[in-house]
Amino acid sequence: MSEQDISQIAHLMRRAGFGAPLEELQARAAKGYDATVDELLDPESQPPMERDMMMRYKVDWFSQAGLEGQQEEWTFRMINSKRPLQEKIALFWHCVLVTGHAKCEYPKQQAMELDMFRTVGMGSFHELLKGLSKDPAMVFYLDNCMSHKGAINENWGRELLELFSLGVGMDGDFNYSEDDVKEAARAFTGWTVTNSVPRYPYGKYDAKFMFDPRDHDAEEKTFLGETGNFNGEDIVDIIVKQPATARFVARHLYNFFVADDVQVPAWKDTPPQDIEAIKMLEEEYFRSNYNITAMLQVLFKSDFFKNSTFSKVKSPAETVIGTLKLVGDFKFPRPGLDLMTMNIRYMGQDLLNPPTVEGWHTGREWIDSGTLVERINFTADQVGNINHSGVKNIINRLSSVGPVLTAEQLVEGCLENLGAYQLADETRKQLLEMAESDGEIRTDSEGFPLQVGTMLQSIVATTEYLFA
Amino acid sequence: MTTEISHISVQYSKTIGRGEQFGPGFTYPINVARGKEGIMYVLCRGTEFRPEGVRVVVCTTDEEYISVFARGIDYQGPHAHNMDDGALVWPTSIALDSQENLFISDEWLNRISSFSKDGDFLGKWEERTGSGDGELDRPSGMAFDADDNLYIVDSGNHRVQKFNKDGKYLAQFGTYGSGDGQFDMPWGITIDEAGDIYIADWRNDRIQKFKPDGKFLMKFGNSGSGEGEFDRPTGVAVDQDGVIYVSDWLNNRLQIFDETGKFIDLKTGEAGLSKWGKAKLDANPEMYGERDRAQGLEREKDFWGPTGVTVDDEGNIFVPESARNRIQVYKSQSPTFAGPRL
Repeated sequence: MSEQDISQIAHLMRRAGFGAPLEELQARAAKGYDATVDELLDPESQPPMERDMMMRYKVDWFSQAGLEGQQEEWTFRMINSKRPLQEKIALFWHCVLVTGHAKCEYPKQQAMELDMFRTVGMGSFHELLKGLSKDPAMVFYLDNCMSHKGAINENWGRELLELFSLGVGMDGDFNYSEDDVKEAARAFTGWTVTNSVPRYPYGKYDAKFMFDPRDHDAEEKTFLGETGNFNGEDIVDIIVKQPATARFVARHLYNFFVADDVQVPAWKDTPPQDIEAIKMLEEEYFRSNYNITAMLQVLFKSDFFKNSTFSKVKSPAETVIGTLKLVGDFKFPRPGLDLMTMNIRYMGQDLLNPPTVEGWHTGREWIDSGTLVERINFTADQVGNINHSGVKNIINRLSSVGPVLTAEQLVEGCLENLGAYQLADETRKQLLEMAESDGEIRTDSEGFPLQVGTMLQSIVATTEYLFA
Repeated sequence: MTTEISHISVQYSKTIGRGEQFGPGFTYPINVARGKEGIMYVLCRGTEFRPEGVRVVVCTTDEEYISVFARGIDYQGPHAHNMDDGALVWPTSIALDSQENLFISDEWLNRISSFSKDGDFLGKWEERTGSGDGELDRPSGMAFDADDNLYIVDSGNHRVQKFNKDGKYLAQFGTYGSGDGQFDMPWGITIDEAGDIYIADWRNDRIQKFKPDGKFLMKFGNSGSGEGEFDRPTGVAVDQDGVIYVSDWLNNRLQIFDETGKFIDLKTGEAGLSKWGKAKLDANPEMYGERDRAQGLEREKDFWGPTGVTVDDEGNIFVPESARNRIQVYKSQSPTFAGPRL
């Protein structure tokens, strides 16, 4: 297998998952790129998480009653799932179809929402939007339970159109009007949730979605040019067949999986950077009857994806999870995982608790002077810990090359083990000089593991390592 | 033909507890031990985010709060724990010796700590992580026999080990597997009046019974949700009449078997408002209104993830539900005619 094969698989696993150690990359490269894509797109072919074991040791993962425990559990899943794309797609939809802990009656409702993203998120966008419309976490978060016949609350109707499906506009035009927002809100009246069981004395119980026909405005509405006595499902039916929805889904998939794009509010006036790629995805959206897996199949096997290496700034979740997978930590539930999840928060991504309904701004907006320090400190601490099993594996692999390594072998070996990373010439030159400054690099020397650890730390502190 | 009525009758008695990090209440109660004179010790697993919730709550079976002792561990990093004596990370079970000293297993530290019944730290066995004789890997359930020997479910090593109460290794039985006498991540344990040992063979979804020397006697149960089937049984207890109680974790129920392992009955929960729960609501009357409006309040009755079962000499059966911060108490009643009212 060639370096090119490993490089391409490493790229795929960073995007369709959270990266992988070299031994996994080699195994997947041996199976082939297309076969790996097919496996990732068929999560049911791989074993599920051993949730019984997880809940036995982490009792709060059983109840899912608090934010911290849920962040931990999700972090653990992202590190260890044999279905990496399933967790990645859950993260994708969490970043798009946003609810937040800060306005959540019962945190377990968000866990149930994530489960919906895992199970429906790779299926039909049509079904996903219908599920989202009835998702108690969403109904509460965007106040549809406060929207009544004759006294609508527009929040859900507005965000459904603006942030969850059509987007404000495309190609310079608006995709919907204020009247459409109001008519959508009317159609969703009566879509509410039950009063929940209060927290004391035994903890909350999940609220249920309910339709209250007495509170539903069943009168005629005109929405996106169509007229009828629409209810919420009718609104979703109309939304999913709009070209703007195809553009919205395609552009989000591109921004998350392929290359950083401008932020959502700019999409009306800023055309996609690769319109041909977007059009391929839009066509597949309609051809497949709105199927997300079909769109991802096109995406991952396309040249525009294969040529998009290192064109995305890693999100905090990708940074932390990818690092922990690489170093082989937290393969089993154990104390201390909450500190890892805190690092995701410190880097600017408080999972399950995004700053607004718009979610997080991505790309270079992940990086500022504070989050950059957090990012580098965290990754350097982890890869520099030569007691981690994954770091030991890297040291052993480099040792097996021979008794003496050249500076180039050390640098290139570390880059390969970190996921076939590529450096700018100047960066590479500096690392080579650093490696040469230690004199002869003997793999059987006592200081060799530390030399490797230091080199890994130096690489993860580079600008290049911020990208995936 | 006569209709056969079981001689075993178990009825709901009451509910104890409420969710609290401090004082009267529990935080993920995982195991219960009964002391003398109505005392009960409730081991709270807590979480790592709130180490003060990790503790032993001492109360009576009438829900009178007495005291609290032990606490969780403040840790300084993902690999740096402050292992102070008496502190707990993942406490799992609690067992009383004949002097009513408390022994607590910690399946993260692989440590057994002991406390007096007043909560004074008495000591700990030296940490012994491993798989050799006397070494431990995630010690779960524990039970003392009549001679004050402590049987420990060594879950990660898929075996049961026997120690004296000073921690001296005496014997072991069990290996990994699904055959007779083998285990897959066992959890709960109890010892009956004859000294025989029952193990909740967690991932094999069954109960196994052994002689004190580890000789296999019988097994019952398999995977499923039907009568007599289990989905990860966490605890097992045997009362004075030989009736066997099993906390059936992911089936959210308590199952009851006769001494031969024949299924008798199951309980899915009947929780009511506990004394501490009522006190909380009385102090916050608006909660009564919330409860009046709540939909599905009847779900409060149901078991949710029972993590153990303990019986006492008075026929009480205690079932802790860690996720609900409470203990449902059932009582064994004789259905036999007791004579006319005098």
